[in-house]
Amino acid sequence: METLEKMTPKICLGGITKEYIAPRTGQRTLAIADVSLDVFQGEFLCIVGPSGCGKSTILNMIAGLARPSRGELVMDGKPIRDPGAERGVVFQDYALFPWKTVRENIEFGPRYRTAGPLSASERDRIVRHYIDLVSLTGAENKYPHELSGGMRQRCAFARALANEPEVLLMDEPFAALDAQTRLILQEELLRIWGEELPRAARKTVVFITHGIDEAVYLADRVAVMSNNPGHIKTIMTVDLPRPRRESLRATAEFQKLADAIWQLIRHEAYEATIDRH
Amino acid sequence: MSLHLRLRPFILPLLLLALWQIAAMAYAQTSRMPVPGDVLTMGWTLVSSGELPLALLQSLKRVLLGFACAASLALVVGTAMAAFEPIGRNLDPIVESFRPIAPIALLPLAILWFGTGTPAAAFIVGYAAFFPMLVNTIHGVRSIDQGVIRAARTLGVSRFTILRTVVLPGALPNLFVGARLALGVAWTSIIAAELAVGAKAGGGGSGGIGQMMFVFYAYSVDLSGIIVCMIGVGLVALIIDRGVRALEFWMLPWKR
Repeated sequence: METLEKMTPKICLGGITKEYIAPRTGQRTLAIADVSLDVFQGEFLCIVGPSGCGKSTILNMIAGLARPSRGELVMDGKPIRDPGAERGVVFQDYALFPWKTVRENIEFGPRYRTAGPLSASERDRIVRHYIDLVSLTGAENKYPHELSGGMRQRCAFARALANEPEVLLMDEPFAALDAQTRLILQEELLRIWGEELPRAARKTVVFITHGIDEAVYLADRVAVMSNNPGHIKTIMTVDLPRPRRESLRATAEFQKLADAIWQLIRHEAYEATIDRH
Repeated sequence: MSLHLRLRPFILPLLLLALWQIAAMAYAQTSRMPVPGDVLTMGWTLVSSGELPLALLQSLKRVLLGFACAASLALVVGTAMAAFEPIGRNLDPIVESFRPIAPIALLPLAILWFGTGTPAAAFIVGYAAFFPMLVNTIHGVRSIDQGVIRAARTLGVSRFTILRTVVLPGALPNLFVGARLALGVAWTSIIAAELAVGAKAGGGGSGGIGQMMFVFYAYSVDLSGIIVCMIGVGLVALIIDRGVRALEFWMLPWKR
């Protein structure tokens, strides 16, 4: 793996703080304190941490759906203020348009985006490509409610990809799925992301999860977050060879990395299971 | 389905009709009970002469005109009220204080402003139809899942396009609820409006099914005529509702 430190970051978070002020009492809650993080072109970065550590808040800020109270967010030298087609998001609850078919959902970005919408024939080609890529062939004309959880997630993934973003932001995309489906989709995600491609040709991915195994299996680097207020405890490099296969999970290196991360967050994960109020 | 099953829904109505006929014949001299046989004859006369269909058509035109105006306005105002908090907050007290006023209470005003013809009737109808449409538009726009709006934003779609491609389709089921309610009250209030204006029959009457009923009541004391009108009103209302439902079925394939 090339040394990341010598590259210019694709996305740069500098001293991000997010504070919520309760509307009636005026009470301030610090959700995230002083988070700094560089994300590099073509890397797969996972953010893990206990519930409520502000992982999703960070993702929402990169997406442009939320703004930090202090600090700055920059992508390719330009500050991030609003959502944009160059940053695609896959949501945990899929957020598919229920009144649109699979095909219409996937077509939505290329058709309606402000920057360079595609003609009908170009859309047709691209939608077909992504439907095949995520194995939704045959389900094009179904509505989201007719699909299984795994198929909905495939559709949400294809919708984000078809808009051809430079960065893919994924917010616990597999959390609502059963364990077997999750394993299958993890492997497919790596295949679609293009593990064999050179770094410059890959999409930059920021992937939020609370699954340590998932993070180690997928990521080039894992940012481990901690609670009260949310901050990054450490960033671990996952130097496991690509393309990765299921069998990797059983290896000693994999277990060692997963265990190291678990030791970092187990105390807080334990605390989170006890109600002290 | 067997013939037996197909006939089943008609058994009770036919029995009631028979009972009505018997009761009416028994008390024919002492009561003003209309007799089914007379109603049938009267119905045939009014339909074959074209009077009844013409009157119904006249009223229906007014309902559709009033409804179309009211629904368009309610759609714009309701979306604005739901999507922009300050507009909603400021308009809500005004809407809520006008909403309880019965449409028919505006009749004197409508006659003074528009006379006794179509504009006055359409105004009453529009006033009646506006509120159910408005309330359901607000509810529909407000109850859209914020998640899909966020998803559309991350796909790089402008706010106006989101309004058109996400908010309106998402609110459509509620818009149909509003439309069905609005058409119902519109049809109710057109009869009342025409009935009241019908007093001026003979000179500047309103026309329409309401006036026709008034004429039967005031000039010929013909109960059968009134009953025929009522049946006509009911049938048209049923057809309108089924029409809207068919449109709904066709426009909301994802709800099937």
